[in-house]
Amino acid sequence: MIRHLFTLVWNRRRANFLLITEMFLAFVVLFVVGSLLAYYQRNYRTPLGFAYAQVWRVDLDPGTQPQAGRLATVRQVMARLRALPGVVSVGRTSSNTPFSGSFNNTDVGAGKEGKGATRASGFYVEDDLREVFQVPLVAGRWFGRRDDGAALPPAVLTRDLAEQLFPRQSPLGQVVLRSDEQFRVVGVAERFRSDGDLEALRPVFLMRVSPQDTALGEASTLLLRVRPGAGALLERQMRTETLAIAKGWNVGITTLAKQRAAQLKEALTPIGALVLVCVFLVVNVALGLFGVLWQAINQRRAELGVRRAMGATAGGISKQVVGEVLVLTTFGLLLGLLVAVQFPLLGAFDVPAGVYFTAMAAAAAGLYALAVGCALYPSQLAAGIQPAVALREE
Amino acid sequence: MLWNYLKIAWKVLLRRKFFTAISLFGISFTLMILLVVYALFDYTVGPHQPEMRTDRLLFASRMEYQYKDGGVNRSSLGYAFLDRHARPLRTPENVSISESNWSEAVAYVGNQTLKLDQKRTDSEFWQVLNFTFVAGRPYNLREVRDGAHVAVINETTSRHYFGTTQGVVGRPLVLDSRAYQVVGVVRDVPLLRFSCYADVWLPVTTTTDDLRNPDYMGRYQVILLARSAADVPRVQQEYEQMIAHQPVPDPKQFKQIGSHALLLRTAVLSRFARGSQGPGSDQPILRLMLMLALLFMLLPALNLVNINVSRTLERSSEIGVRKAFGATAGRLVGQFLVENIFLTLVGGVLGLALAAGALHLLNESQFLPYSEFGLNGRVFGMALGIVLFFGVLSGAYPAYKMSKLQAVKALKGDTAA
Repeated sequence: MIRHLFTLVWNRRRANFLLITEMFLAFVVLFVVGSLLAYYQRNYRTPLGFAYAQVWRVDLDPGTQPQAGRLATVRQVMARLRALPGVVSVGRTSSNTPFSGSFNNTDVGAGKEGKGATRASGFYVEDDLREVFQVPLVAGRWFGRRDDGAALPPAVLTRDLAEQLFPRQSPLGQVVLRSDEQFRVVGVAERFRSDGDLEALRPVFLMRVSPQDTALGEASTLLLRVRPGAGALLERQMRTETLAIAKGWNVGITTLAKQRAAQLKEALTPIGALVLVCVFLVVNVALGLFGVLWQAINQRRAELGVRRAMGATAGGISKQVVGEVLVLTTFGLLLGLLVAVQFPLLGAFDVPAGVYFTAMAAAAAGLYALAVGCALYPSQLAAGIQPAVALREE
Repeated sequence: MLWNYLKIAWKVLLRRKFFTAISLFGISFTLMILLVVYALFDYTVGPHQPEMRTDRLLFASRMEYQYKDGGVNRSSLGYAFLDRHARPLRTPENVSISESNWSEAVAYVGNQTLKLDQKRTDSEFWQVLNFTFVAGRPYNLREVRDGAHVAVINETTSRHYFGTTQGVVGRPLVLDSRAYQVVGVVRDVPLLRFSCYADVWLPVTTTTDDLRNPDYMGRYQVILLARSAADVPRVQQEYEQMIAHQPVPDPKQFKQIGSHALLLRTAVLSRFARGSQGPGSDQPILRLMLMLALLFMLLPALNLVNINVSRTLERSSEIGVRKAFGATAGRLVGQFLVENIFLTLVGGVLGLALAAGALHLLNESQFLPYSEFGLNGRVFGMALGIVLFFGVLSGAYPAYKMSKLQAVKALKGDTAA
C-alpha cells in the first residue's frame, strides 16, 4: 500500500515538485523558529542564581570633581544610604551589573600558568553584596574581612567554571590566573546568570573589592537591597541625600526589576515578530495546500470514480488521498531534515544539539499535522464521489 | 486589449471566490509585513523631522583606537577636540557639536518623579537640524557661550511638567535641583532618532563635564551640514584628512586612530551592526536585509504559483480555443502576467490598508516612545515595486506552463502535466 502511494506520487513528480518545495520551505521555517523558541525556553527555565526583586542600582558620575576626593565622597554617600530606613544593604560593584547588557569577558585559567584557560565574565563585588544578591554557595564562603590581609586576592567561581578548571578535585584554595593576576578560590556558587533570563548560562568569575579599593576607576556603581514596598518616596530621598553630599555629580537610580523588564522587552520583540511572521507563512501554506488538493480532487474525479466502481470503499479512497499527501510531506520533510541536521553536526551557533533535535521533532510534527489538517476535507470530498456520476462526465 | 485582459481577469477572480480569497490573503499579508518593516526602516533613517536634510547631513559619533595587537577601543568623541578641529572645517556649511547620548535627569511634579532624557548641545544644533517649534525659540550662540540656564523641551514633557503646552515659555523647569528657564517647546522627537532624541535640550556649557579636556575620546558627536548633496564626499574627505593629521595618542600601544563622518543611514545601520564604521559600512547589512526579504517572499510566492498553476489548468479549454484561433505563446504569457499583476495589485491595495492599520496599532501602543509611523510616498513607491516584483515572480512559471499547453489536448480537456 505504502509503496503504491510512493509510486503514485512519483509518477506525478513534475506536478508535485512545487508542493514538495513548499513543504520543504515550510519545514525550514518551522525548524528555525522552533530552534529559537526551544533555545530561549531552555534558558528561561534555568534559575538566575541570584535575587533581583528588591535590588536597586545607583550610578554616581562625578563629572569634573578631582580624582583624589572621589572615593571618599562615594564612601560618604554609601554610609548615608545605608543609614536610610528603607535600605538593607549597600555595596560597590563594576558597571556590568545584571540585566545592564554590558559584558566583561576575560580568559581564566587554572594554576599560576593559567592552564586550560576559558572565557568567563568577571564581576567586582564588595563584601556587602552578599546580602544584596543572596547567591547560594555550593562550597566555600563569600568574601569577608579576613580577606583583607590575604597574600592573593580571593575569588568565587561558578560551578561550571570550577569543574572545567579543576575536574574531579576541589577548587577551594586553588590558584587561578586571570589576565596575569593570580587569585585564590574561596567559594563556589551554583550559577550567576547576569546576562539575563534569555541568555545562555556562562561561566562567571567574582572578584572582591575592598572598601578602600580604587580599582573600579572613574564611575561608581552601587547596588543596594531595599525593604519590600520601597518606592518613589525612597528614591527621591536617596537622590536628595546623595546630591547633598556629592555636589554637582550626576545620579542615576533604577531598579534591577525595571532593567530586567526592559531587557526582556528588547529580546522578546523580535522573537514575537518572528513568530507572527511564521504563523502567517504556515497559514499561507495551509490555505494553498488546501486549495491545490481540492482542485486536484476535482481533476481526478474520473480516476477516483473508477476506483469506487471497482469496489473501493469510501474509507479506502479518503485514506489514499491523505496517504498521498503524507508521502508528499515526507519528501519535503526529508529534504528539510537534510538541511536541518547540518546545524547540530556543525555545532552552529554554540547551541546544544538537544535544542536542534527538539526543534526538528516539533517542526516535523507540525508539518504532518498541517498536511493532515489540509487533506481531511478534500479526502471527504473524494470519498463522496459517486462512481456513476463521475464516470458519466467523461 | 489591456482592458479586455482586465475584464477577463476580473471575471476569473469572481468565478472561484475561495481561490481568490486564498491568493489575496497571501499577497496582502506578505505585502503588509514587508511594508511595516520598510516603514520602520524609513522612519529610522529616512528624512523625517528633525533630520529633514538626510542627503546633506553627516554624523560623526565614534572614535576608534586600533591596538597594535589587533583590538579596537571605541567611544564617542571629546568636546575640546571637536571644537578645535571639526568646527573650523571649511567645506561644511555648518557644524554642530552635541552629546552623542542622552542622559537621565529628574524633575519632580508634586510628589511624582519625572524621569527625563536630556541632551546638551550647542546653538548650531538648531540650525543644522529642522525641529518644529510649537512655541518659543531655540537658545542662541550668546546663551550657550554664557552657560545660561535655558532649556528647550518637547511637548510631552511640557504637558507632564506644566500640564499644558501653551504659555510655558519663560517658566522655570527644575532639573536635578537646578532651575532652567524654558525658551522653546518642540514637537516630540522619536527615540529611533538617536542623534537628536531627547526630552530636554540644554546648552552644552551647563554640563559638569570638563569641556577643555583635550582627549580625543569623550561623550560628544559632531553633525556636519554639507552645502549640497553633491558636496557630501568632499566634506567626508576633509573630515577624514583632519583625523589623519592628528598624532596617535600613546604610539606604543595604538597603531592608528579613526573616525568617520557618515550619512544617517550608514551611521544608524552600522550602529546596529556594531562593527567597524566607514562610508560603505552599511552595505553588508543592507544586502542581508534584502536577502531576508527575498527569502521571506519565496514561500508566499511559491504558494501563489501553486494556486495559479491549478487555476490555469482549469481554464485549459479557454486556452485551447485561443490557441486554435492563432494566439501566440508570447501573447498568452503576456495576458496571464497582466492578469496576475492585476491580482497582486488588488492584494497590494489590501496590503497597504493592512499595513496602515498595523502601524496605527503600533503607534497607539506607544511601543516605541513618541513613534509616529506612517505611510508616505517612499513607502507607497516601495509597495508598488514589491507588488510588481511579486506579480512577475509568481506569474512567470504558470504563464510559461499555460503557453506550452497543446491546443488539441487542451480542447479535449486533457490537463495531465
